[in-house]
Amino acid sequence: MSYFFQLVVSGIVVGSIYALSALGFVLIYKSSRVLNIAHGQIIAAGAFITYALTVMVGIPIYFSFFISMVITFFLAMSVERIFLRRLIGEPIISVIMVTIGLMSIIDGLIYLTPFGTENFSFPSFLPTTPISVGGVSISWTQMVGVLVTFAMIGGFTWFFKKSTIGISMRAVSDDQLAAMSIGISVPRVFGLAWAMAGLSAAAAGGILGNITGINFDTLHSFGIVVFPVVILGGLDSILGAVVAGIIMGLIQQFASGYLDGNWGLSGTGEIMPYVILLVILLFKPHGLFGIHEIERV
Amino acid sequence: MSSNRWFATGNYFTSYKEEQRIFFTSLDRSAMVLLILALFLWPLFIQVDNKYMLVIDNILVAVVAVMGLNLVTGFAGLISIGHAAFVGIGAYTIACFGRVLGENHMLLTHAWPLMIVFAGCIGAVFGGIVGLPALRLRHLYLAIATLSFQMIFQWTINFMDFFNQGQTISVTRVAWVTGTVSRSEHYTFWYYAILVAIVLVGFAVRNLLRTRYGRCLVAVRDNDRAADAMGMHPGFTKVYAFALAGFFAGVAGALHAYLYRGVGIESFTLSHSISFLAMAIVGGLGTLHGAFWGPLAIKILDLQVEQLSEWVGNHLTFATNLATALKPLSFGLVIVLFLMFEPRGIANWWRIVRSYVKLWPFRY
Repeated sequence: MSYFFQLVVSGIVVGSIYALSALGFVLIYKSSRVLNIAHGQIIAAGAFITYALTVMVGIPIYFSFFISMVITFFLAMSVERIFLRRLIGEPIISVIMVTIGLMSIIDGLIYLTPFGTENFSFPSFLPTTPISVGGVSISWTQMVGVLVTFAMIGGFTWFFKKSTIGISMRAVSDDQLAAMSIGISVPRVFGLAWAMAGLSAAAAGGILGNITGINFDTLHSFGIVVFPVVILGGLDSILGAVVAGIIMGLIQQFASGYLDGNWGLSGTGEIMPYVILLVILLFKPHGLFGIHEIERV
Repeated sequence: MSSNRWFATGNYFTSYKEEQRIFFTSLDRSAMVLLILALFLWPLFIQVDNKYMLVIDNILVAVVAVMGLNLVTGFAGLISIGHAAFVGIGAYTIACFGRVLGENHMLLTHAWPLMIVFAGCIGAVFGGIVGLPALRLRHLYLAIATLSFQMIFQWTINFMDFFNQGQTISVTRVAWVTGTVSRSEHYTFWYYAILVAIVLVGFAVRNLLRTRYGRCLVAVRDNDRAADAMGMHPGFTKVYAFALAGFFAGVAGALHAYLYRGVGIESFTLSHSISFLAMAIVGGLGTLHGAFWGPLAIKILDLQVEQLSEWVGNHLTFATNLATALKPLSFGLVIVLFLMFEPRGIANWWRIVRSYVKLWPFRY
């Protein structure tokens, strides 16, 4: 039984990071209807910037976490400004393909740095003995990671419910024309959505880097799992992203905990999200919380 | 019809039948015949090193695959980020037969044209399955479905012993009327085989686009609601576009397997899917001859990048993995720059040149 609870705990840890990464993805989709294929790369970049600032520059990790968030904020904003602003009004398919191109470009840029091939791990700044309750243990890094993640998600929720900018972003996602008519600058909101997505991606990357260590392949595959998460949650629902993130984390942990090693299976945790994705697309295509657009074309 | 469409200043068709012809003038037809003849005959006069022949074969295989991708992305307007997986399905069909029946089974050595078509059919089946969500969804979701198919494919190959866990599975040499194709003839032989496939496939696509099924694809891309109102079934059309793309990819994969005499997962990864997409975009989405320009341009770029990174690597000792860095970088840049500045691809340059020549000495 404690094995079960151990899996639940690690599932929630992984799942909360999924939730945070999926949040940024949903932000971009909600405001501008763009599927950002390059989101995983932004997460990886966030992790690398945090590591570089902490270890190579020598800034304390708390500060470097924030600085990397600020850097990625502006990075994502400039990506939007340079590549996507001029594509407003183009067919959505070419915008998505631009993000596929961006994914390739960022991949290439990361391979230029040592982070592309080598493994790094953050210096430990928390107690190394794990917290253990009734046979279920959770390391301090994971604990802090989960807490920071939930704090961030709470912050985002507050931002969208209460702040003026957040409300204007919701207005744009609801109806661009109406938002424009009351004086909201739609391109600026797009830029801001990308910036916020970059910020949350950097946070997710930083936490993930602390928990799993820095390896581009891991971060890369982590970035792609964001797609099943957002599809499960519904592409345009922030609540859905959070819930689906945790569900996906649990499913992954259960799959690798109970299926691996039996019937000659291995690595099922990696593949389960995609299988679920295909099933969801067939039977409940708008996910758990997505808005059900009534058009079957 | 006026004498020569190339010099006419507009579209003078007076009936649908005229518009649907494959060749508009006899000049078009003879030019095409000459081109195909030239493609078939040049290896008789020019001796090419095996190394370069492999590059040419490689480009031609990519042409077959990109024709399929062009159908689904260019004509039907659906993004497929898993095309390399469909190509892989075709290649692994051949490999599976080799593993089950024994590598030198008659089917693989003698009935190889049949096997190539069969691999295409398997690809079509998988294409149809992945396209199934199209019955209920719009294209955004489909892009993700293809991506997840790519991931599932990679995982299946990597973790199953039957597929040698992604390591190379060897494929036999084939037999021809003159006996088993020897090592020195291998690449030239497959040049002809792939060329025949391309001619068949090219005419198939050209013909498809004249029929109601092909025009259905374009109608659904341009406006699916209008297409629905005209009595087409958009969801079904999309599924069948995916199946067609899967067929072409399967054929390309089987050709790839025979050409390289081996199948390994490293040729069918996500980065290959992206490079197929780059080829389709660079060539020109939604044009038939774009499927030729794209692979040509991208493969040449690929070779240049390889040489460049080798050259730079010799001078800068710290840049060890420059090739892995420059390849995605150049692909990404090519995709983004083409989409931003020339969304209609290289095929559009051809159109520009043609209209310039047509109107000369006037500007417009």
